[in-house]
Amino acid sequence: MRASTTSHKLYKALFVTLLLAAALVYLAPLYVMLTTSFKGIEEIRNGNILALPDALNTSAWSKAWSSACTGGDCYGLAPYFWNSMRIVLPAVLISTVIGALNGYVLSQWQFRGSNFLFGALLFGCFIPFQVILLPMAMLLAWLGLANTVTGLVLVHVIYGVAFTTLFFRNYYVGIPTELVRAARLDGAGFFAIFRHVFLPLSSPIIVVSVIWQFTQIWNDFLFGVVYSGPGTQPITVALNNLVNTTMGGKEYNVDMAAAVIAALPTLVVYLVAGKYFVRGLTAGAVKG
Amino acid sequence: MGSIKIQQLTKSFGDTEVLKGIDLDIKDGEFLILVGPSGCGKSTLMNSIAGLEDVTSGDILIDGNNVTDLSPKERDIAMVFQSYALYPTMSVSRNISFGLEMRKVPKAEIEKTVADVSQLLQIEHLLDRKPSALSGGQRQRVAMGRALARNPRVFLFDEPLSNLDAKLRVEMRTEIKKLHKRLGTTIVYVTHDQVEAMTLADRIAVMKDGQVQQFGTPYEIYNNPANRFVADFMGSPPMNFIECVVLDDKLVIESQGEKFELHIKHGERLKDAGVETVILGIRPEMITEPKPHVAGALVHSLSMQVDVTEPMGPDTIAFGQWNGTEIQARLSPEAGVEAQLTGLIKVQVDTSKAVLFDAFSGARIDA
Amino acid sequence: MFDYLEKQLPKLIMAPTAIVMLVCMYGFIGWTAVLSFTKSRMLPQWEFVGWEQYGRLFANPRWHVALDNLLVFTLLFIIIALVLGLMLAILLDRNIRNDGALRTIYLYPMAVSFIVTGTAWKWILNPGLGIEKMVRDLGFTDFEFRWLVDPDMAIYTIVIAAVWQSSGFVMAMFLAGLRGVDDSLIKAAQMDGASTFRTYWHVILPVMRPVFFGAVVILSHIAIKSFDLVQSLTGGGPGYSSDLPATFMYTHAFSRAQMGLGAASAMVMLAGVMAIIVPYLYSELRGKKS
Repeated sequence: MRASTTSHKLYKALFVTLLLAAALVYLAPLYVMLTTSFKGIEEIRNGNILALPDALNTSAWSKAWSSACTGGDCYGLAPYFWNSMRIVLPAVLISTVIGALNGYVLSQWQFRGSNFLFGALLFGCFIPFQVILLPMAMLLAWLGLANTVTGLVLVHVIYGVAFTTLFFRNYYVGIPTELVRAARLDGAGFFAIFRHVFLPLSSPIIVVSVIWQFTQIWNDFLFGVVYSGPGTQPITVALNNLVNTTMGGKEYNVDMAAAVIAALPTLVVYLVAGKYFVRGLTAGAVKG
Repeated sequence: MGSIKIQQLTKSFGDTEVLKGIDLDIKDGEFLILVGPSGCGKSTLMNSIAGLEDVTSGDILIDGNNVTDLSPKERDIAMVFQSYALYPTMSVSRNISFGLEMRKVPKAEIEKTVADVSQLLQIEHLLDRKPSALSGGQRQRVAMGRALARNPRVFLFDEPLSNLDAKLRVEMRTEIKKLHKRLGTTIVYVTHDQVEAMTLADRIAVMKDGQVQQFGTPYEIYNNPANRFVADFMGSPPMNFIECVVLDDKLVIESQGEKFELHIKHGERLKDAGVETVILGIRPEMITEPKPHVAGALVHSLSMQVDVTEPMGPDTIAFGQWNGTEIQARLSPEAGVEAQLTGLIKVQVDTSKAVLFDAFSGARIDA
Repeated sequence: MFDYLEKQLPKLIMAPTAIVMLVCMYGFIGWTAVLSFTKSRMLPQWEFVGWEQYGRLFANPRWHVALDNLLVFTLLFIIIALVLGLMLAILLDRNIRNDGALRTIYLYPMAVSFIVTGTAWKWILNPGLGIEKMVRDLGFTDFEFRWLVDPDMAIYTIVIAAVWQSSGFVMAMFLAGLRGVDDSLIKAAQMDGASTFRTYWHVILPVMRPVFFGAVVILSHIAIKSFDLVQSLTGGGPGYSSDLPATFMYTHAFSRAQMGLGAASAMVMLAGVMAIIVPYLYSELRGKKS
């Protein structure tokens, strides 16, 4: 008995050590990004990548934010940060509202063909976007929305609705249909039932949907690089341009500060609402 | 106000016909029970009355008005669901008042109704709670309160007691019956529990495979079942079905190598039917220990080898075999104890209420 | 009249989504298919050339590099992410204290854009100043680590960064699966005298087959769509040695004015995804019904 307890403890210590080592590896890139961003360029060239900065030098941060060159112009990431916000916020809001209504219909007001519709929509979560890039570019041009923030919002709404619908549908499917029946006998209509019965139940799934959409759209690069123009680029595109701008010497500290700035909003969301983030990942991923 | 007339109602889901031409005439103020095994179509029929499902053909009339194509909202019907279907985010009082709110009833009137209903159902102390903070019995009451508040023409109850424990179920059963007596509103009540059906109903419609097998008072259904299915379904312990050889106008039962001849009412019809064997349907309470009997009884004395007894308290069920079929007799507790000891006993069989079924079709042949 | 409208409301609500989906997913797929059969270059041209673009595509060495890279990348990425994720999940499942904090650490890369990931790893793997310099500073002055600029090795840097980003997600999926395994099943196995290892191997992992299956599908889907990471980490280089189909498509359709060729490559990508997704969705939806 005692021997097994001892070996049990040994094993546990081994496990914990392994887990902690893994945690260090996962944290390393973030650590390197942060430390590098506070170093001066000389310190970077001469020092060790894992070393802590000698002093907290924030010049790289202010440069990344307001004066670094991203391709053509040199205004830093700030304008693109706000571009991303202007794209993300309406797109998240609209796709969540549409997804909620769609999910409500697909789970509680099924009609002939609604399951087929859901299957077709589900498939849309998986198509490689390369296959719609060219026609969408033509459609946006035809609508006069090429290289505009509105155009990007539209694209993100169209291809985000498949996910938000999936979230809400799978959430509402767990709510007994008898609630709708009871409410209909009580004299409530389609929207009244949604407003009084379903909406008050939906806070968790709204959070999941908003977080998922926020991270997806904020982190998007493909649509951003294809459908934006000078001045309307989202932050991911600007970051990529900044890092790959070859004018002058490489300023790794500015690159890293810029990368952290670009990552910050989604990281904050993740830290604040990690539980919902995981739920969104798994709900969007495995459940059909 | 609330008579319901259902005419030639059919309902199909794809190729499967769930309701195959239902005709029912429910009087105003009547307590009607729809009973049958699961999948018999009783819930579909109820949803059709509520307007929650479209019917394939046929008509539903409430107070003479054809409501077949009306939405649930316009039918003035309230329903109590098996799962209660209380709105989880609303307080008890809002659950009760929601239907009135949707119908734009003035606020003062709503408040008065909620107060009246909650007093009637003794749930005043629960009004501010959420459904999740209620016990099963309390939820049941709130669900009923929600239906009562609307003061509809018809109440529908969809297996309302099946989620309660046995003791509470009996209590609520009585309460529902009292409530009906007091309000006098028409009730259509779905259950698969034949005891609930017998105890509550003014009339019972026994359903199977999308058809009404019999529509009548509990007395008629119990004592004069239309066919073997109804006879088997209603009554607990169930009716004994014994296949017997016909001897002129009598039936033969063999027990422990001894043959007994049983007289039956309308025995002469057996000859007309010209069958060699019939199924004798006889309820356990008609097979008892020898005791004084009432006038009109058709009493015989038979032997019975008791295999096992089940004391129920007020009486004891004894299991034995006649004609190779297991049968149940209903003995007094004392006779039950004795039967357990001796094994072979004498029983008294009263065939005055026995019924006869065709051995193949299960149809009544003596009615 | 109003009643009729109310009855049709669910369909009305779904109608815009259905129409947009029909046009912007299925219609656009058809459109791309049509483009892939035309001579389109800078602008769409409606001159049909049959399978010519596909012929050109598969005669293009760069496309073959992209396909080979995809194969190597997908296999390594999936296998490493699965093994790593599963190991972390099993270790975390052993009643470790503060597993919440550890989970948060393993999963945070998933919240970050692939562009950020690429930027960070590009710096870490920097031949002059990154890991190479760090190890040399430790005294191993001959140490070389220049995968980023080595055409034969560049694709593996993408594997490293992608695994770092996605293995936490696999961990989360497996952990959810492990926690969902019926406790009585584990108890029964222990009563039968099975060791911990045998319990996992014979009892728990088989039950998690759907999670396993789901993770593979998601990971291969991420792999085929991989674009941002390559773009930011290697830019497809050196040369085009770390190209993937997604970057190939982008380069030809948008930078090199080879619209027809780009469309053809997109259609091949779609076919690849469908080969994985359709059976998966089919089994998922069928399983739901029964």
